[in-house]
Amino acid sequence: MSRRRGRTVAPGRGRTANPGRTEAPIQAELDASWHSSIDDYVIDARWSPDGQMLAVAAISGPIGCLDIDTGKPVWTVHAHGFGTTELDWHPGLELLTSAGQDGLLRNWDPATGQQLSEMDGGSAWVEHVAWSPSGKVLASAAGKALRLWDPAGTLLREFSDHTSTISDIAWKPGCEEVVTGAYGGLRFWNVLSSDAVRTLEWRGSILTIAWSPDGKYIATGDQDSTVHFWTIRTGKDLQMYGYPTKVQDLSWDSRGKYLATGGGPTVAVWDCRGRGPEGRSPILLEGHESVLTALAFHPDRNLLISGDESGHVALWQPGVSDEPLDHIVVGNAISVLQWSPDGSAVVVGTENGSVARLELRSED
Amino acid sequence: MATESQVRNTVPVTVLTGFLGSGKTTLLNRILTENHGKRIAVIENEFGEVGVDQDLVIGAEEEIFEMNNGCICCTVRGDLIRILGNLMKRRDAFDYIMIETTGMADPGPVAQTFFVDDEMRDRLKLDGIVTIVDTKHVWQHLDDSDEVREQIAFADVILLNKIDLVGADEVDQLEARIKSMNAAAKVYRTENAAIDMDRVLNIGGFDLDRALDVDPAFLEPEYPFEWSGTYWLEPGTWTWTFQPGEDPTMDISVHPIAGVDDGALESRLMDAVLTFSDEPVKLVANQTMKPGDQLYQVQFGEEPSICAVEIETPGFYVFFSEHHPNEFDAVFADENGGVEALHTREYKPDHEHDEAVTSVGITEAGDLDLDRFNAWLRDLLMNQGPDIFRMKGILSIQDFPERFVFQGVHMLFDGRPDRPWGEEPRRNSLIFIGRNLDEDGLREGFRKCLVDADAR
Repeated sequence: MSRRRGRTVAPGRGRTANPGRTEAPIQAELDASWHSSIDDYVIDARWSPDGQMLAVAAISGPIGCLDIDTGKPVWTVHAHGFGTTELDWHPGLELLTSAGQDGLLRNWDPATGQQLSEMDGGSAWVEHVAWSPSGKVLASAAGKALRLWDPAGTLLREFSDHTSTISDIAWKPGCEEVVTGAYGGLRFWNVLSSDAVRTLEWRGSILTIAWSPDGKYIATGDQDSTVHFWTIRTGKDLQMYGYPTKVQDLSWDSRGKYLATGGGPTVAVWDCRGRGPEGRSPILLEGHESVLTALAFHPDRNLLISGDESGHVALWQPGVSDEPLDHIVVGNAISVLQWSPDGSAVVVGTENGSVARLELRSED
Repeated sequence: MATESQVRNTVPVTVLTGFLGSGKTTLLNRILTENHGKRIAVIENEFGEVGVDQDLVIGAEEEIFEMNNGCICCTVRGDLIRILGNLMKRRDAFDYIMIETTGMADPGPVAQTFFVDDEMRDRLKLDGIVTIVDTKHVWQHLDDSDEVREQIAFADVILLNKIDLVGADEVDQLEARIKSMNAAAKVYRTENAAIDMDRVLNIGGFDLDRALDVDPAFLEPEYPFEWSGTYWLEPGTWTWTFQPGEDPTMDISVHPIAGVDDGALESRLMDAVLTFSDEPVKLVANQTMKPGDQLYQVQFGEEPSICAVEIETPGFYVFFSEHHPNEFDAVFADENGGVEALHTREYKPDHEHDEAVTSVGITEAGDLDLDRFNAWLRDLLMNQGPDIFRMKGILSIQDFPERFVFQGVHMLFDGRPDRPWGEEPRRNSLIFIGRNLDEDGLREGFRKCLVDADAR
C-alpha cells in the first residue's frame, strides 16, 4: 500500500485565513427550550427522520421517547440487560432499533414502546446498529461479527471474520454499501456479496468512521491521535496528525466542503474541496478548555456545534469566524449532540443524564 | 469559555498475570470474597459476563493494537480500552478493577494502555502488576518461555504459590533466581494463593511517591562463585564426580564452617571471596582437595573428572563452586554412596540459563548534569527501550533542591520533583529491569552524567 502523509499542521500551531471568503457571517444563538433528565449517562439520542420524535438511551439499559416540546418521557423500557449502546431510526417506517450489551438488537414501536422483534447480534456486546439509506437493510456490529438484517428482523448475511472487534460501521450515503472499521483498516460489504467487496488496509486502530456526504471520501478518527483520509475512487490515503488526544469525533458539513475533527480541545476543520486536505492547514476553532466529546454540522448550513468534557456547547461558522457565534453550558460532560432533521434545534445529552433541547435562533 | 472543573476519582487497576494453573483464579476469588463492600470489576480472558454479588466479571479477548509508526511503546490493548471506556461511563462506577491476563500475555501492552490512552490515563490508575507463579512447575518455563520471564520482569509483586508442593531449598533457589531477574518486586510465598490483600491491592507500584521503595543496594553483590553447599563430613576420603560440561575448568574451594545456618555461611562468604581471588591449584591425577583457604580448579576432559577431598576431623564443611554442580551432574560421595548437602545457596544465575532478563541497580552519590542525563536517557530509551521493561528511581540533579523521582515502562517516562533533600545526603539510586541489559554499559553511561564525572 502506498501512503502519502498530508503535509499537515498540528492543531495548536498557526492557522490560515480563508482568502476566497464570500460567505456572509451568520448571527445565531442557542436557547434551551427545555431541560430534562434520564438519570444516567446519555449514551445516545436520536431525532426521528420526521423530527417529530426523540429517542434517548441510558448506558445502563433504559431507552425511551421524549416529548419533543416538553422533554417529558412518553414511554420508557429497560431495553437491554447490561446496557444499551446505540439507537437508530428506520428512515421510512415507524421503527426504532436499539443495540445492547445483552448480545441483542431490538426493534421497537416508537409510539408505544412495544417490542416488535429481537435479533441475536452474534457476540456479548452489540455496539453498533445502522439502517441503510433505503431502509432495506439493518447492519449490526458485535465483536468481530457484522450482521445484515431485513426490517422484519430476518438475518440476511453474516460476516464474522473481522480480525478484531468492529469499532464503527457507516453506510455509504445514498448507497446500499456499508463499511466497517477495526484495527487494521476498513472493509466494505453489501447484502449481495458473500465476502468483503473491498478492503482498505492500514496498520492502526480506527475508532470512528465518517463518509463525506457525496460518498467520495472516508475520514476516520484513530487511536494514535490522527485522522486518516481515504479517496474512495483511487484508494489513496493520507494522514492528518498532530492531535493531542485520540480522535473520536468527526463531522462533515452538508456540502462536503468541511470535515470537522475533535481530538483535544481545539476543533480542527479541514477544507476538503478539490484536491482534498493534502497540503492544506486546518482552520482551528479555539475556545473549548477541555477535550471535545461531540461535533455535529447542521444538516443544511455551515454551522457547527461542538461539545466538551466540561459541559460547554459552542456554535461556529467555520471559515467565516474563528470565534464561536454562541456558547451555552449544559450540565456536565457532553455525550451526544444531534441536529433535528430540519436544523431548527439540537438535542444535547450529558454524562450525568441531562437531556436538553437547544433552539437555533438566527436572524435569517 | 470558563470551565467548571470536574474532579473525577481515578479507579485503581491491578493486573494479574501468571501461567495457566499458577493460581490466578484462586487469588481472584479471594480478592472478590475478601473485599466486602467494594465493587470490583474483573476483566477476564473468557467470554460472557457474570455478576458475582455486586461485582462484575467481563470476558475479553486480547486485542493487541500496534500503531502505524511501529513504536513498541504505542502498543496497547484495544479490548481493554473499549471495555474499560464503557465501564467508566457508568454511574455506579467500580471501586477497583482487576484484569486477569492469559498465561501467554505480554504485560507490556497492558501496562502501556494506562499511560498511552488519554481516557484510561485520566480515569484509571494502574496500581500494580501481580504475577503468580507455580513454584513447582515454573522452573521449566523460566527457561523456555519469554512470557513467563516478562511477567516476572514486569511485576511489582510476585507470589511464589504452591510452596507446600516443594521443599524449602527449592523455594529458596527459585526466589534467588527470580530476584536476580526482578530485584524491585516484592516476593511473597503462598499456599493456595492465601495472601494479605494489602500486599496485592493498592500497592502504588507505579506511584512516583513510591518510586524508591526499592533499594538497589538490595541487589545481591556479585560473587565469584555461583553455588555453595554445606555438608557434615566424617574423616576419610570423599569424592566429587563431575561429568564434562560446557566449561573447560571450574574453580572450587572447601572450608570448615560453624554450622548449617545462614549466619555461619555469611561469616564464611568473605573468606571464600578472598580464596577465589587466588591462583587455583589444578586438580590433576593424585591431587586432592583439603579444607582451607586454598582454591582448586577442576579440569574437564572427555571423561568424568573425579576429585578427592581429604577430611581429617569430623564437622561441617562448605564447598563454593564457580558453577552450579548440576551443570556437570555432579555427585558427591564416599565409599558408602552419595550424600546430599544440608544447605545450599545460589549466588547468581548460572550461565547455562544465560539469564536474558535481569535487574541492574545503580547507586551513585553526587549530582547529575541535567542535560547530559537527558541526552543519555533519550539515547538509551531510543536504542534499548523495547528491552527495558521497567525502571524507577530517585535522582539528585544539580541546582535542584528537590529529589527527582521517576518511573517508566519501555519508552514511556514519567517523572517530577519530589520533596527537598534537606539534610539527607544527595545521591542517585535507580533500577532497570529488562532483557539483555548491559550492566557495565549502564553504570558507565550513568556515571558520565554526573557533574564531577571527569574527576572520577
